[in-house]
Amino acid sequence: MNAYPQILFKNRRPGETVLLAEYEKSGGYQGLRAALQMTPREVCELVKGSGLRGRGGAGFPTGIKWSFFPAEQPGDKYLVCNGDEMEPGTYKDRQLLLADPHQLVEGMAIAAYALQTGIGYIFLRYAYEDCSQRVERAIEEALAAGYLGKNILGSGFDVELHVHRSAGRYILGEETSLLNGLEGRRPNPRSKPPFPAQRGLFGRPTNVNNVETLATVPHILTNGQLWFHELALNPESAGTKLFGLSGHLNRTECFELPLGITLREVVEDFGGGVRGGKKFKACLPGGASTPYLTAEHMDLMMDFAPLEEVKSRLGTAGVTVFDENTCMLAVTRNLNQFFARESCGWCTPCRDGLATISWLLDRLEFGQGTEADLAMLKDQVRNIKGRSFCALAEGAMGPVEALLRLFEDEIIDHIKRGGCPFSKRSG
Amino acid sequence: MPKLTIDNLEVTVPEGTNVLEAACALDIAIPHFCYHEALGAVGSCRLCAMMFTDGPVKGLQMACMVKAQDGMVVSSTHPDAMELREHVIEWAMTNHPHDCPVCDEGGECQLQEMTVAGGHSKRRFRGKKATFTNQDLGPFIQQEMNRCITCYRCVRTYRDYCGGTDYGVLGSRNRIFYGRFQEGKLESPFSGNIIDACPTGVLTSKPFRFKTRLWDLQEAPSICPHCSLGCAIVPGGRYREVQRVRAGINRETNGFFICDRGRFGYDHVNHPERPRQPRIGGQPVALETALDAVRDRIAVLVEAHGPNSIAFLGSSRASLEANALLRDWASAYGSEQLAYEAHQGRDYAARTLAARVGGHACSLGDLRQSDLIILFGADPLAEGPMLAVAIRQAVRGGAKVVTIDPRPVELPCTTLHIPLPASRLPELLAALGSGDLSAFDAQERATFAPLLDQIKAARRPAMVGGADLLGGQGIAALCSAAADLSTASRAVGVMALLGGPNSYGGALLAGDGPGFDTLLDAIQERTVRALVCLESDPFCEALDPARAQAALGHLELLVCIDSTPSLAAQRADIFLPSRANAEMSGSYINNEGRLQEFLPVIDPGLPIKVTGAGDHPPREFFQTTPGSAPAADWWLLAKLLERATILAELRKTMAKYDERFSMLSFLAAGTTGLRLPVKVALPPVADRGLPHADGSDNQTLLATTGPLGSHWLAHLSAPLAATEPQPYVCLHPDFAAALGLASGDRARLTTRFGHCHVEVRLSAQMVSGLVLAPQLWDTALEGLAPGSLHDCRLEKEARA
Repeated sequence: MNAYPQILFKNRRPGETVLLAEYEKSGGYQGLRAALQMTPREVCELVKGSGLRGRGGAGFPTGIKWSFFPAEQPGDKYLVCNGDEMEPGTYKDRQLLLADPHQLVEGMAIAAYALQTGIGYIFLRYAYEDCSQRVERAIEEALAAGYLGKNILGSGFDVELHVHRSAGRYILGEETSLLNGLEGRRPNPRSKPPFPAQRGLFGRPTNVNNVETLATVPHILTNGQLWFHELALNPESAGTKLFGLSGHLNRTECFELPLGITLREVVEDFGGGVRGGKKFKACLPGGASTPYLTAEHMDLMMDFAPLEEVKSRLGTAGVTVFDENTCMLAVTRNLNQFFARESCGWCTPCRDGLATISWLLDRLEFGQGTEADLAMLKDQVRNIKGRSFCALAEGAMGPVEALLRLFEDEIIDHIKRGGCPFSKRSG
Repeated sequence: MPKLTIDNLEVTVPEGTNVLEAACALDIAIPHFCYHEALGAVGSCRLCAMMFTDGPVKGLQMACMVKAQDGMVVSSTHPDAMELREHVIEWAMTNHPHDCPVCDEGGECQLQEMTVAGGHSKRRFRGKKATFTNQDLGPFIQQEMNRCITCYRCVRTYRDYCGGTDYGVLGSRNRIFYGRFQEGKLESPFSGNIIDACPTGVLTSKPFRFKTRLWDLQEAPSICPHCSLGCAIVPGGRYREVQRVRAGINRETNGFFICDRGRFGYDHVNHPERPRQPRIGGQPVALETALDAVRDRIAVLVEAHGPNSIAFLGSSRASLEANALLRDWASAYGSEQLAYEAHQGRDYAARTLAARVGGHACSLGDLRQSDLIILFGADPLAEGPMLAVAIRQAVRGGAKVVTIDPRPVELPCTTLHIPLPASRLPELLAALGSGDLSAFDAQERATFAPLLDQIKAARRPAMVGGADLLGGQGIAALCSAAADLSTASRAVGVMALLGGPNSYGGALLAGDGPGFDTLLDAIQERTVRALVCLESDPFCEALDPARAQAALGHLELLVCIDSTPSLAAQRADIFLPSRANAEMSGSYINNEGRLQEFLPVIDPGLPIKVTGAGDHPPREFFQTTPGSAPAADWWLLAKLLERATILAELRKTMAKYDERFSMLSFLAAGTTGLRLPVKVALPPVADRGLPHADGSDNQTLLATTGPLGSHWLAHLSAPLAATEPQPYVCLHPDFAAALGLASGDRARLTTRFGHCHVEVRLSAQMVSGLVLAPQLWDTALEGLAPGSLHDCRLEKEARA
């Protein structure tokens, strides 16, 4: 197991949360001090040049997002941290907040300065009460130390942070739904344009970033662009990434690993190999909405661009591994049930289309399926993908499409046998 | 003006038009559910997909979500678009029950239409359908949630457009439930619009339930008779009864929606006590006999006492044509005793408005675009409900709204309310017009000075007045203030809520003629010996009912033409039954001076009841339809005048009263109607002012109209009567405390006309020292005219 540089997890100790004193001792809030010596635009440029890409799943370059933000526009503007981590197989933000929450607070303060947003909201998952309490404590500490509040570190800049606990649905992770939820409205997604940077929270310019993204920012400010670039193994990429391992592995933990590490190293070294000495069959590389990778992809770099080349996505880097005895149809059925259940019910393809897919996958998995059902599944996917209002149904189609692309023979096997070839009952 | 190509046809549309609307402009039908002209586009149904093959946007897009741009090339028949449409319908139909044979929406179901249009014909989903438990939403609306296809139109209508708060979206995924948090009657006075908005049979009319299929229903464009706004409606009739009303479309007035009073107030047409037979001295007679008797008896009186011994009272709910013929009739005898409204305040208000509003008149369409609306003594929910919805649209566009009223004025939007006694409203209007607030004390000046600044700063301000509280003098002050506050760059709009659907038309015919109080004096003095009432009831509508009753007792002849069981109809010496507006053609002029036509949907007759009790077929046979004697009001008057009963011919004779009536020749029903051009030289109106309480040391009662069922026609409608509140009065909490009364107390309300028992309600929005009594139907005080002030005594009663 290679020892890679630990940035976000450098202070992490099992069962403990870093308080302000220790965070400061390890170089904490130096990034904020550095940022306040610069102009807001310089901070944006620095982050842009670092190559930092959003860690919430979409991988949009953070600096570019910031440069679109109308920082000079007068009036209220908001910074929102998306901590509604509900993607199945993803638990990295929680590990980060439990270990070292001041990184987020500092990152928020820097981002607020760079974007000139006086008010920041940290929107946390309903189930993350433990994280909420730790972040609230970190905010109190930072406030008392003058890192937050009026005139931070004598800069003349004011930052106010609030923790908001989600009401608890997956759709709230969609940034416009999150904004509706934060406003106390029903969390249906909003149509884009206007993008949140133009009209977001309460109709004002709003920038939304993931927890991990914001927590990475202070380190870039402290150590610089070059250092950040060199963290990645992929020369095209930059930085480390939190990988949350789950599924049929010997070790299912969260690791901070450099971008560009191979899937093989993640699975075999850090995951300790497939459980029970079985063979690796497939994995979700970055949460439930990312198309499967199979054994042929083992030497692929775990990074944004390389995974897109094989029709998958890095997503949140929550790697869920399935062994050779797993029925991928059953996996997909399970995942689709989640998405169908979490549909907000706003648009027809998501609301009723995902339910129709659930019905089809049930039939196929339990041996009632026919060739006609398989054909119907294909036309359903074709008409849901790219046709829904927001990215939820789009994401839901990731594993279904990959199932049809990579494991159609298994589906046909189900139809022929009249049952699941992997089930002990029917096998 | 972007120019784009849709299905190989070029079209140029205004900036901001979406592609779906552009396709509609080319008469290309694109199936859609969530888009609605009034509600806008939200992109939730995903049905209106079109393929953008060239130009600034590419790929498959929802047409409603894309603004038309120059150079777009769009196809509605691209295979991808057609395939998605078919799938969207397939998804919408996965949970929809196949209960069309027992569904009230059958025949007018958009889901049926879209299913055919979308191309989905074979059911592939054979899984379990989602099912729901329905809620009882009150007497108007029947819910059947299993049929829901989740288009969100009901909540967007109920909440976003109409401002209701007690109905919304519950649940998520394919378990979305539209309803109330708890079962119960929908509180919004615009709730019925969700029946029209629902594309399928989830929300249907409860009073209309299981009555008639659309194809068996006779419908025609009509104008709502319930207030002065003149909303477009489409009544539907069958079996000799009006069975329902749905909203018509008039973008200048109501837009796409109507209020519940208009929607469920149709039943006065079918009222069981409606007088349907001509009568002399209470005895049924043939129509010709009654007409002859009217002519003969009036001729005798004219012979003996001169033409001015006959008085004529028109009305704001009779057609313009009938009111004009009434004037012809008076002229034929040479009588000058002609008035058009028994309610003196409403009469002078309408006449003053018609004479003075000029180019300031604004429509509901104009009001929806306003940026500042100030209401002076106007309570929209009571006096013109759709005004409240129009105001809400202005507020959604950023407008500010101020209400200045002695009553609490509830609106479905945020407002600033300033309590002020009605008697001080003209004074305030004059002060705002002149910009001189010195007549007000410091505290009041602090309230009104910012208002003045806001009016001056507003780009599209409008001032609204209510006839009941302002009367003629108040409306005159309103028009003057609007004129004074207008500048060269922008006019201040004026809207007044008048007494009835044709108040404006009556006012134009009345001109500078006498008011009804003058007629009453003449009746009291016995110079007038006969009174002809055209669809008016002086016993109930006069401001001083006691005086009216006493004077009318002296009449030697009371002739009444009416379609309702009014007191005048009951007491008439000669009664002629007229048709309701759903049974005839005619026209009204609404409160902004818009001339609009209505058409008949049924012929009068006793409604047929299918009882299932073996009484069909009927065992008695007649040459004529039972109860079919009522004739159009203008038809009766033409008969009395011995003229040809041809509406078009009668209309041609009307221009002599106002040359603008020649526009009647161009009028068509179901259109936006014709706004009368501004006419400057109208005679000034002499107004005696509103009578006030006599100033004894008792309390003062302000009679007013209430919501929904408080008006005469609405009161006669069974679906609305069921929702009328128990009699109540409203007081300011301080005033109530001084009287020893608390919210919910029972009290005895005594006036010189009698007493009744009321519930006490409190509102901090009231002016103090006033007892507010919305229409006290079925009590001794039901005859108190809205807007009138009376001395009263309010005493607490022990709880039963």
